[in-house]
Amino acid sequence: MRAGFSRPARRALLVAGLIASALLQASVPALAADTPAEIALTIEQHRFQPEEIRVKAGVPFVLAITNKDATPEEFESKDLRIEKVIPGGKMLRLRMPALKAGTYGFVGEFHEQTAKGRIIAE
Amino acid sequence: MGATFVITLREALEASLLLGIVYTYLDKIGARPQFGYVTWGGALGLLGSVGLGVAVGVLSGPLVELGPDLIGLGVTFLAVIVLTWHGWWMRQHARAIKGEVQRRIDEARATQRFWIVGLIAFSGVFREGAETVLFLWGLMAQATITGGWGSLVGGVLGVALAVALGWAIFRGGQRVSLPRFFAVTTWLILLLAAGLLSTGIGRLQGLGWLPMTAPVWDTSGLLSDRSLVGSFLSGLVGYRARPTALEVGAYLLYVVVAGALLAGARRPPMRHDPDPVVAGQPALRV
Repeated sequence: MRAGFSRPARRALLVAGLIASALLQASVPALAADTPAEIALTIEQHRFQPEEIRVKAGVPFVLAITNKDATPEEFESKDLRIEKVIPGGKMLRLRMPALKAGTYGFVGEFHEQTAKGRIIAE
Repeated sequence: MGATFVITLREALEASLLLGIVYTYLDKIGARPQFGYVTWGGALGLLGSVGLGVAVGVLSGPLVELGPDLIGLGVTFLAVIVLTWHGWWMRQHARAIKGEVQRRIDEARATQRFWIVGLIAFSGVFREGAETVLFLWGLMAQATITGGWGSLVGGVLGVALAVALGWAIFRGGQRVSLPRFFAVTTWLILLLAAGLLSTGIGRLQGLGWLPMTAPVWDTSGLLSDRSLVGSFLSGLVGYRARPTALEVGAYLLYVVVAGALLAGARRPPMRHDPDPVVAGQPALRV
């Protein structure tokens, strides 16, 4: 078993590295941008509060999700391609992209029966 | 108990299937001594998952808010790359499978591609691992506080069933003939990688780095990707109930390009046969 990487292997690592650095660069402007409006969302007793969030269409915003439960919850929106675990007792800021007008459902994946909500962009 | 069972099963299934396939693959090419690559890859993935889970649970701030997304994206695209590569390698290898076992090991060893299966194991476990760790951790915390042990047992059983399914693939795969195993897993891995690619594209849309577009179709009434069957299909072949145009485009483009690549990789042996082994040439040229 030799440990050295073959040439295609090195090439793949290089490609992976390039992708990673491209992603990092793409994230820098996102971090540096003006802080968009913050909307509070609370998880308590495995329910979202509020369950309906209204935002302006076409304007990015930040969801400040506070999990008041002792257990983690996963904020998940299949519509928005977002999955984010919020550990118990923590607050997470989630940068949301500008949304087209419409309704976007989300759930708490770990307690799906009770934790449901929607974002309405208008 | 049932709910937590389904969640962990869903999260762990993909990793377990991948592990089952790569272990079987190594077994099939007579490279059992190289199982360590997969085991180490999986173990490192697990270690990384626990590390990331603890980091997210303990730390806070922008790094924790964006970091896991970046890592998730990186691992998803890494998985696409190594799976594609592996599929191509398997195709190349398929022409050597008629040879003696020892020759096969030597060829594989000579090309040093075992670290790819290690990477597959790593990315497979690490991709959904942190979520599962956080989830089980939460269940454990809950169980010690309120005594809800049923949920924890359900969660652990979900992981256990996923592992059992991976094991079943390994056992079953040993009985399937080699060419058939190669054929089936090559195309399965192709679809799996296509699904991962479209997942990655979807994540980029979710982060706002690619424009979000309206769903091309909506089959959530027919088969929701939140249902058990739907989420299995989603993990296996990338099923989406409401895919965006970019996701569908990426999926199709990948299937066409990688499919052509794989089909092309198989053609040469047909031309060069009757028998590369008799000719005394190493049949594997990568």
